[in-house]
Amino acid sequence: MSESRPPARSRALLARLLPAALRADVLADMDDTHSDLVARHGDTEANRWYRTQVRTSLRMALAARFDRFPGRVSGNRTFLRRGDDLMTGLVQDVRYALRAIRRDLGFFTFATMIIGLGVGASTAVFSIMSPLMLRPLPLEVPDRLAWIALNRTGGMSSVTSRTSNLRDFREMNRSFESMTGYDAFFDYNSYNFVGDGEPERLVGVGVARNFLEVLGVAPMHGRNFVEEESVWQGRPAAILTNAFWVRRFAADPAIVGTSISLNDTPTEVIGVLPASFDFSSTFTPGARIDFLLPFPIADETDRWGNTLSMIARLRVGVSIESAQADIDRMVEQLKEADPVRWGLGGAVTALQGQITGGFRSAMVVLAAAAGAVMLIACANLSNLLLARSVKRRKEFAVRSVLGAKRTRLVRQLLTESLLLALCGAAIGVGIAVAATRAVAATTAVSIPMLTAVSVDLSALTFTLAVAVGAGLLLGIVPALQISAGHEGAVINDTARGSSESRNSKRAREGLVVAEVALACVLLVCGGLLLRSFVAVLDVDLGFQPVGAMSWSIDTARSFESSEERVAFYNEVIARVSDVPGVDVVGLTDTLPLGRNREWGIWAEGVTYEEGQSPLAFPRMVGVGYLESMRIPLLRGRHFRADDTSETHNVVIINESAAARLWPGLDPIGQNALMTGEEPWQVIGVVADVHHQSLEEGSGLEMYLPIAQHGDWGTLDMVVRSSLPQAALVGPVRAALRSLDPSMPTTEYQTLDALVDRSVSPRRFILLLLSAFGGAALLLASLGIYAVLSYSVSQRAPEIGIRMALGESASQVQRRVVSRTMTLAGTGIALGGVGSFVVARLIRPLLYGVAPTDALTFAGMAVVLLLVSGLAGYMPARRASRTDPMTALRSV
Amino acid sequence: MGRQVLGEFEQIVLLSVVRLADAAFGRAIYEELARLSITQVTITAVYVTLSRLEKKDFVSVQLAAPASGGRRQKLFAITPSGLAALQRSREQLARFWAGVEVGGGRAGQ
Repeated sequence: MSESRPPARSRALLARLLPAALRADVLADMDDTHSDLVARHGDTEANRWYRTQVRTSLRMALAARFDRFPGRVSGNRTFLRRGDDLMTGLVQDVRYALRAIRRDLGFFTFATMIIGLGVGASTAVFSIMSPLMLRPLPLEVPDRLAWIALNRTGGMSSVTSRTSNLRDFREMNRSFESMTGYDAFFDYNSYNFVGDGEPERLVGVGVARNFLEVLGVAPMHGRNFVEEESVWQGRPAAILTNAFWVRRFAADPAIVGTSISLNDTPTEVIGVLPASFDFSSTFTPGARIDFLLPFPIADETDRWGNTLSMIARLRVGVSIESAQADIDRMVEQLKEADPVRWGLGGAVTALQGQITGGFRSAMVVLAAAAGAVMLIACANLSNLLLARSVKRRKEFAVRSVLGAKRTRLVRQLLTESLLLALCGAAIGVGIAVAATRAVAATTAVSIPMLTAVSVDLSALTFTLAVAVGAGLLLGIVPALQISAGHEGAVINDTARGSSESRNSKRAREGLVVAEVALACVLLVCGGLLLRSFVAVLDVDLGFQPVGAMSWSIDTARSFESSEERVAFYNEVIARVSDVPGVDVVGLTDTLPLGRNREWGIWAEGVTYEEGQSPLAFPRMVGVGYLESMRIPLLRGRHFRADDTSETHNVVIINESAAARLWPGLDPIGQNALMTGEEPWQVIGVVADVHHQSLEEGSGLEMYLPIAQHGDWGTLDMVVRSSLPQAALVGPVRAALRSLDPSMPTTEYQTLDALVDRSVSPRRFILLLLSAFGGAALLLASLGIYAVLSYSVSQRAPEIGIRMALGESASQVQRRVVSRTMTLAGTGIALGGVGSFVVARLIRPLLYGVAPTDALTFAGMAVVLLLVSGLAGYMPARRASRTDPMTALRSV
Repeated sequence: MGRQVLGEFEQIVLLSVVRLADAAFGRAIYEELARLSITQVTITAVYVTLSRLEKKDFVSVQLAAPASGGRRQKLFAITPSGLAALQRSREQLARFWAGVEVGGGRAGQ
């Protein structure tokens, strides 16, 4: 007995198909025979025999399985009955369909491309939407996670909470299993990492000790923080993010337990996060996070003010509403206990909604757009199939006369269109995979969960569903048309001009009108979004991004006094200013279009009502910042080198702040108050700057000299120069290193890139929508072309007669073109109405343009008319070139 | 039951069972058919047919070990009604062949 085994796959296949009663016997005998053959003739022969056996037995095995009438055998029927009929039928249909395809390979290729486009678009959008909207967050039991903001709306400082809130809520609550938080202003600090290689500026997020526990994330290596590390001035420890660990430490698990130098402080690496948990993708999209560190919930951190973004896990059975009531109760009690306590509050929402909510409307728009493209593709194809099926009328009439039932014919056609759809789907999946890879790899877009975008099982299931749906949808109309009877007339070729062709013509033209209407809606919405995008870009930023770069700088050097620290940075400015080609250099602790905090500011001598005190966005800046950003100075003066800690405190405010604090008065010379006793004298007023995003207004802003206010950590250096980036980077880096060799110098970007990143989500959506719009336009015009082309060829004799009777070529052309325009015009009219309705729905995504913007509507109408005209022109030309004699002869 | 005629494959399977007598195990039946049949035979087809024949009470099944040793396998034997069915099929065929000349290997001449 040899050791050789029969081919596993064939065996498994047969095993699956055989009825249970026969399985053991058949397989055993097959195995035995196989062994014998191996011994006698060798493996190859034996395997060949085995495979042939399986292949030949498949039908019978399946039929035996479905055998429902074991007792009835008539003499001249074979033992293969109902099961076989079904099988034979299906196999026959597929074979027939394949033959039909081979006959018309060009059409088939064309058609699969069209479907591929539609399916690819739909699947890509589904895959993008899936991690954001459809899948739960990649955390443990995510629907019991809640986000607790201080207030429901407002700037960063209005939604973050004090650590004392967390501490007290933890004690007093009845609704939460556990509560935690992270430092929302993490990017005010940075950590110089000096390992082997370039010194790097790392970004770390402070988290409460139970942060990972609450989320249900366990470190992949190592452990979570312990008590000694999570207290004020506790032992330095860090948990690395997976991406950083792979990038800088080559995914070496041995790094856990070793110490790395962060800001000259030896810090133990106690763990590594798993790849499945991407902090930045979930909570801070677009920002790179390198590690987590402990954020103590203590009195010391409480004094920092509103810092925490709070997350909590609800108790089983507790709803968001009851959690909210619980928070309200706690706030009440705490206020009663300590009436002067500030910063009390809490607004509970589901975490998933918090993270993804802002993009919901955009995603829905994309889904609708993809759906529209799919519909247009289907309409197009249906048209083409209809046209083709008319050509095959004779074939099907013959089959019908020979006894094929209508259901059989319909089934045949449905099989063909399903086959078509599935092939198209395969192409579509390819397109979707490429698209999703590109999307997942992009870090330039601040949309959460983008890194999790991929074509996965759910997307493939979706694709299959779409393909099958499309196949059936496409197939049904031609199938019903073709099997509608009138065989005699068809076979005898006397069917031309009968009512059925009129019906099919109406169907085809109706489909084209529908396509044009859908394309119109898509184009109008795309146009509106495009205008919004342009409007957003056009916004007067308040500063000049062109020609300036920013560097994130920080030094690990320790200073004895704040004056020393300021002197160091002044020296940085001096050295960089000396670089040839550099115009102005400035420093700030927060660039615009990033995150920011809010501080209270009051005009001296003015009392404000409860809850009405003004909040402004503070910026600590060095001398020259405003000039380097080209923020226009409207009144007063800039900061100077002699504004030091020895001299009077000064502040520069923006227009809005001036109007709010001293309405109608000249603010120069007025005193402003912040926390702390000393007044800050207003010495200048500058223009408003968009600090949050281009779409939002600027709010109140104030600029404080770094020499006078010490509340700053890392600084960004702005370098304005006419030199191109490539020429500037090297010398600036050299200048920085000459001052402090351990200073990281690689975090730079142009201010243009900064602005770009801020509009990246909008641009992303727009790009996708434009792609859909373009596809829709292409498909619609192809549809028009196909219908007109077919119509012209059908009516060749009629045209011939007309020309023979004296009609000129240009008259013929005009007739065809006018038909095209009628179709297109109807489609545009319908589409216009549709656009009117749909545009209202996308209002939240628009900026600076009304949903009923006449220019966009008119523009798109013109585009569609032009494209339609072009599509109709070629058939028109062909029609006008008809040779009347040839046309007449074919009557 | 009484007036049933066997299909072609059923006939040759039953005949093989008869020919093999005490050695009519599934695999042996297949090998006999493979040896004598003009068309390709599969083991699956053999078993499916045997199963049907059993249901019609034309063959009986019992488990036995072959003389040469090895695992216990199904041993098939023809039943009286099976024999009768074979007989009927043979008679039917004979009736139609009566007086038909198919000579020289070319039909219709």
